[in-house]
Amino acid sequence: MPSETPIVVVNDICKTFRIRGRPPVQALRHVTNHVDKGEVLVVIGPSGSGKSTFLRALNGLEPIDSGSIVIDGVDLTDPKTDLNRLRRGVGMVFQHFNLFEHKTALENITMPQTVVLKRKGSEAYEIGHRLLDRVGIGDKADNYPSELSGGQQQRVAIARSLAMTPKVMLFDEVTSALDPETVGGVLELMKELATEGTTMVVVTHEMGFAREAADRVTFMDDGAIIEEGTPEAVFDNPQHERTKLFLSQII
Amino acid sequence: MLSAGWVGFGADTMVDVIWITMPFLLAGLWMTFKISLVTILCGSILGFAVGMLRTVGGWLVSATLGIYIHALRGTPFLVHLYVIYFMLPALKIPWLQFEAFPAAVIALSLYTSTYVAEIVRAAIQAVPRGQSEAARSVGMTAAQCMWHVVLPQALKLMIPPMGGVYVIIIKGTSIVSVIGISELVRAGEHATQRHPRELMLIYGMTALMYFAYCYPVLRIARWAETKFGSVRLPS
Repeated sequence: MPSETPIVVVNDICKTFRIRGRPPVQALRHVTNHVDKGEVLVVIGPSGSGKSTFLRALNGLEPIDSGSIVIDGVDLTDPKTDLNRLRRGVGMVFQHFNLFEHKTALENITMPQTVVLKRKGSEAYEIGHRLLDRVGIGDKADNYPSELSGGQQQRVAIARSLAMTPKVMLFDEVTSALDPETVGGVLELMKELATEGTTMVVVTHEMGFAREAADRVTFMDDGAIIEEGTPEAVFDNPQHERTKLFLSQII
Repeated sequence: MLSAGWVGFGADTMVDVIWITMPFLLAGLWMTFKISLVTILCGSILGFAVGMLRTVGGWLVSATLGIYIHALRGTPFLVHLYVIYFMLPALKIPWLQFEAFPAAVIALSLYTSTYVAEIVRAAIQAVPRGQSEAARSVGMTAAQCMWHVVLPQALKLMIPPMGGVYVIIIKGTSIVSVIGISELVRAGEHATQRHPRELMLIYGMTALMYFAYCYPVLRIARWAETKFGSVRLPS
């Protein structure tokens, strides 16, 4: 197939959270979107707009009620799809890092390789060391997560995802829990990944990053996509009232 | 001199009493040791299985095991023992006829398993959700996630409460004396009947023996807790 086929195709997905004793929350309302190979899609929007749910749906962490998600030709919503296999190709970096607390930085990167990809220990270690160098903390290989700063932990988490050589990387507000002085470094690392051609979907409140690194920006509110386009179009010339309101509030 | 003959058996001094009763008490301690060890082993294995199943099983499995746990925890152990030792044989089912020792071990193991199961479940659930989400997001199966990520962290959380349960079980074995098993308390009672003037001494020896058994268990639990490092879980 030609490379024009988007690597992620999201078609008309809906998701409603039903918690007993509370009114149901419609987190995703007929969301349709796509991500091309090498594209950086940045999703912005107020809290509770459904952007994190959208991201988590892309690797099946959040099952959806209807619609379809196709990743590199594999339909995530098909019951016959091996979700574990699919997730190998979809890296995810979390707001709270979620490093394996009982493993060192290096082991956090090697363990998924040996367990999931059945790589040899020596190979996994080589890749682990190379990626730790790549994300700029080669000297922290033997430290446990609790001994690392938030920024360093997030770098390990990014390296852990990269080790699986994913087709697409998902970033879920990865700088929101960081100390201000470490935010810039992590964003810088993500920009480097973007320029290297990594396919990325980034949920963030960092508008500077969105403007600089995004190929396309999607604005979500109340579970739906309100507006999307190039960073210039969305930030400098928003069409929708809600987009204007949101941008005026955060800038 | 008069009283020596009256108390009888020629055992008069405390040293003599200790000398004479010690073998009986040690035999009792040995029985207590055997019962508690088998119980802790079987109860832990069963409890671990129940706790795991309760965590990963569907609601039906979970509810069924919940009934098992709460039924046993909500009734006195003595009742379990009577049911297994006195009531089951009355059903005249060949494989439900238990001698005293197996009956005691079975009853105690079931009882232990309910406490272990709750500790296991609580520890597994105390491992933050983000840990398993991260594991699943790199493509681990549910089993791989449990084995490589959740259990290693949960085990550390289980150690302190597990040590506590084991000590309670060790001391709790004394109750099986009611079905005629000569464990430590029973052996002590026999000794007091032979040497009624040395109640304090004999019960003191009995208590010391329990302590000598339980204290190391608590120390080992404490050691294991520090050895495997107190886990620091992400907020």
